[in-house]
Amino acid sequence: MTDILRSWIGSALPDWLIVLIAYLIVTTIVLFYAVGNFILMVWAERRVIARMQDRLGPNRVGPAGLLQPIADAVKMFTKEDIVPRSADRWVHLLAPVVSLAPVVMMLAVIPWGRGWEPIDLNVALLYVVAVSAVSGIGLMMAGWGSNNKFALLGAMRAVAQLVSYEIPAVTALLTVVVLAGGMSLLNLPYLQAGIPLMGATILCNDPVGCSPLLYTTLTSFPGSPNEPVQVLDLGLGWWVFTPVGLLGFVVFFIAALAEGERTPFDIPEADSEIVAGYMTEYSGMKFATFYIAQYILNFSLAALAATAFLGGWQGPGVAALANMGGPWVHVAAALSAFYLLAKIWILFFVMIWLRGAFPRLRVDQLMDFAWKLLLPLALVNIVSASLMVSITQWTSAQWSGLVNLDGFASWQRQLIAVIVTAIINISATYWILSINQRPKEEEWDEELVVAP
Amino acid sequence: MTTETETETTETQTTRGKVYVIDRGRPKLRAGQGLLTGLDVVFRHFRDALMRKLEKPSQQTGVFTVQYPEERLKLPEAFRNFPILLYDDETGHELCTSCFQCQRICPPQVIHMTQARDPATGKAVPAVAEFLIEYDACMSCGLCAEVCPFDAIKMDHEFELSTDVHGGLTINKVGLNRPISYYEKIAPTFWAEVKDGAMKKLQGNIKRRPDLIGVAPQMIDTIKAKRAEAATAQEPAPTARDSVPTDKADRLAAIRAKAAAKDAEAQPAPSDDSAPTDKAARLAAIRAANAARKAAAEGAPAPASDAPATHAAPAPDAPPAARSMPDDKAARLAAIRAANAARKAAAEGAPAPASDVPTAHAAPASDAPPAASSMPDDKAARLAAIRAANAAKKAAAQKQDGNDDK
Amino acid sequence: MNTLITILFLVFAVFILVAAIMTVTVKNIVHAALWLISSFFGVGALYLLMEAEFLGVVQVLIYVGAVSILILFAIMLTRDLEGSQNRQLTPRWWIALIVPAALFGILIVPTVMTHAWQLPPLPAGQPPTISGAQQIGTAFIREYLLPFEVAAILLLVAMIGAIVVAFEEREQRRRVLTLAEQVRLRRQQQQQVATLPEPAVSTVQPSEATGSET
Repeated sequence: MTDILRSWIGSALPDWLIVLIAYLIVTTIVLFYAVGNFILMVWAERRVIARMQDRLGPNRVGPAGLLQPIADAVKMFTKEDIVPRSADRWVHLLAPVVSLAPVVMMLAVIPWGRGWEPIDLNVALLYVVAVSAVSGIGLMMAGWGSNNKFALLGAMRAVAQLVSYEIPAVTALLTVVVLAGGMSLLNLPYLQAGIPLMGATILCNDPVGCSPLLYTTLTSFPGSPNEPVQVLDLGLGWWVFTPVGLLGFVVFFIAALAEGERTPFDIPEADSEIVAGYMTEYSGMKFATFYIAQYILNFSLAALAATAFLGGWQGPGVAALANMGGPWVHVAAALSAFYLLAKIWILFFVMIWLRGAFPRLRVDQLMDFAWKLLLPLALVNIVSASLMVSITQWTSAQWSGLVNLDGFASWQRQLIAVIVTAIINISATYWILSINQRPKEEEWDEELVVAP
Repeated sequence: MTTETETETTETQTTRGKVYVIDRGRPKLRAGQGLLTGLDVVFRHFRDALMRKLEKPSQQTGVFTVQYPEERLKLPEAFRNFPILLYDDETGHELCTSCFQCQRICPPQVIHMTQARDPATGKAVPAVAEFLIEYDACMSCGLCAEVCPFDAIKMDHEFELSTDVHGGLTINKVGLNRPISYYEKIAPTFWAEVKDGAMKKLQGNIKRRPDLIGVAPQMIDTIKAKRAEAATAQEPAPTARDSVPTDKADRLAAIRAKAAAKDAEAQPAPSDDSAPTDKAARLAAIRAANAARKAAAEGAPAPASDAPATHAAPAPDAPPAARSMPDDKAARLAAIRAANAARKAAAEGAPAPASDVPTAHAAPASDAPPAASSMPDDKAARLAAIRAANAAKKAAAQKQDGNDDK
Repeated sequence: MNTLITILFLVFAVFILVAAIMTVTVKNIVHAALWLISSFFGVGALYLLMEAEFLGVVQVLIYVGAVSILILFAIMLTRDLEGSQNRQLTPRWWIALIVPAALFGILIVPTVMTHAWQLPPLPAGQPPTISGAQQIGTAFIREYLLPFEVAAILLLVAMIGAIVVAFEEREQRRRVLTLAEQVRLRRQQQQQVATLPEPAVSTVQPSEATGSET
């Protein structure tokens, strides 16, 4: 963007102003993108959940009810903004802002398409985690500032859940860091080129005859030789197709559900227990702000999951189009953006699907699930990821001579790594699931048996 | 369209209705299987809801939403909302005999009625003069319909009654009246069960009711028009039989009757809101006419006797403005006087066909002051009754003359 | 560009100072915690201004995301702590003033004394990343291995302690019974009392049994 502006305006403006304008434009685009998706998501959620419950959902406002979110927004705008008399006015006012701002900040680092990256931050993954942790403060402020016991209870639950599930989420993302060898989000889609399971490890045997539609030239692939190589690339080398990535994805997605307060982890706003949780005392635009924050958080978490495990914008045809050069690069970028959007929406559909299928967890079940199941799985997965990286990339010197894999081709090493990690992950998953299983006969039931 | 869900469902007919047994598959086996089964079930619902509607109860999936204003469920026959009154399609006679059973049994006491009286004798007749039901307080229990011995009150299926008019849910007889064919349409089997008894009782009642008492108010004009047409059709028969002057008079009466019938058709329907007082004037006119006709009916040919009634009909249309109770009394008084006079005239001897003509003249008099305010209306009604009485007297005198001639 | 950075630095510095002063002067303790959080944010922004992205993000993650939430939790779970009726100053406020001042002096004086103020201009080209994740990682397992391990052991001990405390509580805790189970249990106990001449208590509550032994 900056470059385009520079070429347009040239030297008419000082450089810092051009940079500032460029950032403003990019920010506006990203915000509109997110808000547009938010509007569609609200509509889609209501329609899809309705179909799952054998209903039709909102279908009166506009074609197929598409204008329903607009009508809702108009309602929200015109509602009275009520602040309880005993509430802490400023904290009450700031809470929705504090919970929305970090969520919006998360959008900045996600690569929305090939070459469509708002910011290149080399600690992007950590940044996303840190920023999403901040929204907990907003929830606390809302709960405390409302001076309402339901709000406070909801805030306590929300923050406890947020803090607990951040640990499996971060640990699952750590697998990505290990696999990628860095915390930048921009590289992740590039690293997930290739074909399923094998990744970008199948090299071109004949450097001349390889079709540019199927083969891409990759440079500086972590661990791979630094000279450019031509690899078989269908844009499907997503990490979710490897055992490590699959486990990491499952753990991260479940934790993301909990962070986004989606059913079955929606106990902070369990309306049957604590009215609306921390949002109890909010109305009008403040409530709408919370609502937007929640959906955009879900949107960006889905985008993050897609980028980290499902290849981000990577997909069949993107690399081939980009290889053709010229204006086709822009087509490739558009196609890649579409791929990412499609992945986000599929993940969002799964979120709705889970909401339609499962009841809400109890608080102790929620905590048990995070600490006894997800966290051990994520820890095992880090070990697997380290093994995978070391098997595929380490030289025998790095292994201190213990293992010598130098003689194998990269696809053979990949295959070995996949088999080893698959064995580790499957056995660990089975073991952790089995030790978590409820004992067949509970002690209490034995004690309680009354003789006939 | 036949999915596995339908084959899993078995349907058995028992004495108490259909029993659907749904096979829900194998029980849960191991950890996680329950979760996956749940997802599967939900997805199947999602997929089927996109493709089809839920039509049969044996179907487990599909959209069951009925988009109400456009689509409507077929209401069961036994559905009951608020009570209505039935009248016969042909004759317009109401089935109600004002036995007060429904008024007594009504738990929220929202049914009110007054019994009709014979204008000639002043005695109560088995017909209802006015019938009011406060729909806004009605609890739709259906006890009135169950208790009614004449099957005159039934429960309606119409439920879209919301209104913004205060008092708009207090319905009078005009609003309550429905033809039998309407009820037969909404509840055919129920009507078939009671039809014979109800119609038999109705025929019995019609005999006991003086003419046009107990006819559905909105049907009166139609019925009269019908009768007038019948009168025109049958006109030649009396013409041949009677003497020239009477024939002339008869023809005049018939022409006037036609004109009045046309007039009546052109008139707007009686407005509902002034019903109780409006009723008084109408009643007076009807009674006056009836009394005159009764007098005539004892000897005069039938077709001519209908004419005054036809003329009298437009009278109630004239005073739409509400009036106080004394008007009612005055009108009734006038009617009674008219009746008495007519009876006296009749008592004096054989009927004279010409006797109807002055009555026919008298009745339209009440048409005259339609624009006038409440007081003149009252006067006019009284005037009409007096004139009717005079005419009857005159007729009696003429008849005496006729007798003398013979 | 440098003036812009200076202006930004001044803004952040003033913000941090104001937030810190508000933290100690404001009467409502939750407000104090919120001011503390904003001061943490300001520090994170300062790190970012110095292009220490990793440090800035970690500052936000640890201090804003974890520590301050812990503080807020502690405040909200403690009764009668909030409110404006609390005294702002204790009679020994001067001690509280001297000790931090001395500590701050110990930290700042050597830094000021030994710091090379006249920095040579940076070599052209790629500026070195300050406090990147890699440098911090290597520093932790090379130069500062001992403090790192000590801190790790401290945290481990704290964690084990928390688990031990939780397990002790758990021994006494019972599953929450449903109403039907309570009824059954009560009936069972009544039957036991009726059939046995001696009261059988010790099997139900082990804590009481141990208490009676001592």
